[in-house]
Amino acid sequence: MYNTLIRNILRFVGLFLLQVLIINNIRLGNFIHPCVYVLYVMLLPFDTPKWSLMVNGFLIGFIVDIFNGTPGLNAAATVLMAFLRPNIIALTTRKSDIEGKTAPSVSEMGLQWFFPYMVLLLVIHNLALFMLEAFSFHLIGLVVLETLLSVIISSITIVLVIYIFKPIKNK
Amino acid sequence: MYNLLVLIKKYHATILFVLLELLCIIMIINSLPYQNRKMVSVSNRISGRWHRTLANWDDYLHLKSQNDILAEHNAMLMNQLENVSMTSDSLIINEMYTFVPAHVIKNTINETNNYILIDKGAADGIEPDMGVICDKGVVGKVVNVSTHFASVMSLLNSYSVVSCRFIDNQYIANVVWDHMNYQYGRVQDIPSHLIINKGDTLVTSGYSNMFPPDIMMGVIEEYDYDENEMFSKAKMKFSTNFSTLRHVYVVKNNYKAEIDSLCITH
Repeated sequence: MYNTLIRNILRFVGLFLLQVLIINNIRLGNFIHPCVYVLYVMLLPFDTPKWSLMVNGFLIGFIVDIFNGTPGLNAAATVLMAFLRPNIIALTTRKSDIEGKTAPSVSEMGLQWFFPYMVLLLVIHNLALFMLEAFSFHLIGLVVLETLLSVIISSITIVLVIYIFKPIKNK
Repeated sequence: MYNLLVLIKKYHATILFVLLELLCIIMIINSLPYQNRKMVSVSNRISGRWHRTLANWDDYLHLKSQNDILAEHNAMLMNQLENVSMTSDSLIINEMYTFVPAHVIKNTINETNNYILIDKGAADGIEPDMGVICDKGVVGKVVNVSTHFASVMSLLNSYSVVSCRFIDNQYIANVVWDHMNYQYGRVQDIPSHLIINKGDTLVTSGYSNMFPPDIMMGVIEEYDYDENEMFSKAKMKFSTNFSTLRHVYVVKNNYKAEIDSLCITH
């Protein structure tokens, strides 16, 4: 129990610092804005209640926002993502698959399951983020392009981050 | 009551979701200028019609006093016309600027950022960044335009800065709002060596291409001199009474494109 809590706090701080100090300073053109911090919400345990998911999403989104100077933007997108996370899990797994598993991570569920799960959540997050940034339906084409490119780059970055920081199995 | 609690317990996740998203969107609209202006533009379109109807009714109640004000302004213009033939400068001004009369249909004076809604829009040739004046003095500048309405950022706005000139000695300064009272503004960037008296008059400088020169801005109320500073400040009383604003004129600069093409600044 405490192990999970400490691991999640470390993950929160680590991913937030990674996003704010490194990822946000990498300029990949106007259309690509990789988001790595959302991995924190993706990796929360299966038995996390929905309200806790959303509060966690809000907190990490809001802190990233404060450093970006865009209060509310990332927070709104991350809360939406956290709200839909249980639905996405239900969509990608059968009940029997989850039994005995604690968290939707690569080490427990395998990359084959994790990848579509991550991409779906990233699409939701980025679409909401860029829609709010554009704040108009006139720019929908640009928003979709931005989402597409960002999701591709974000997925690659997240998979890299997972394999760089792969936790040692305690067996 | 029990049923309500059961309902809240059942839908607590959805309720929390809606609350958090609302909080985020309020933060976005309040803090990001682009989203804020977009929102103002949307609400203009929706509320413009409604406010115009209300303003129409309200206008009837003020017809008499408005007539007096217009007659007074008319008399003043007649007097100016007498002088026009003598000074050639005024004739050039008349060619350079044209004025579009408009009605104020919504106005606030108590917010940190006050906007005025007028009943002329893109269909009448109004564009963003045009100046707005009234018979008493400067009102603000157009920030957002829909087909039939435009929103004007009044001088009572934290983003508003207008270049002005002392009528006595031709020195230039900037006028901003003091955020406290709709009657008073603050004059900034006054060179410290300047001697300013209570009652000195400020007019527009005409350097911004937004307002014609020599439009009344206000009168100095208080001067706080600090000899250690390079520039000093003063309190100014606006000549425009923002709380009774009804008729305004949008200033069209006929040579704006030509002048802008010479300016290298963005």
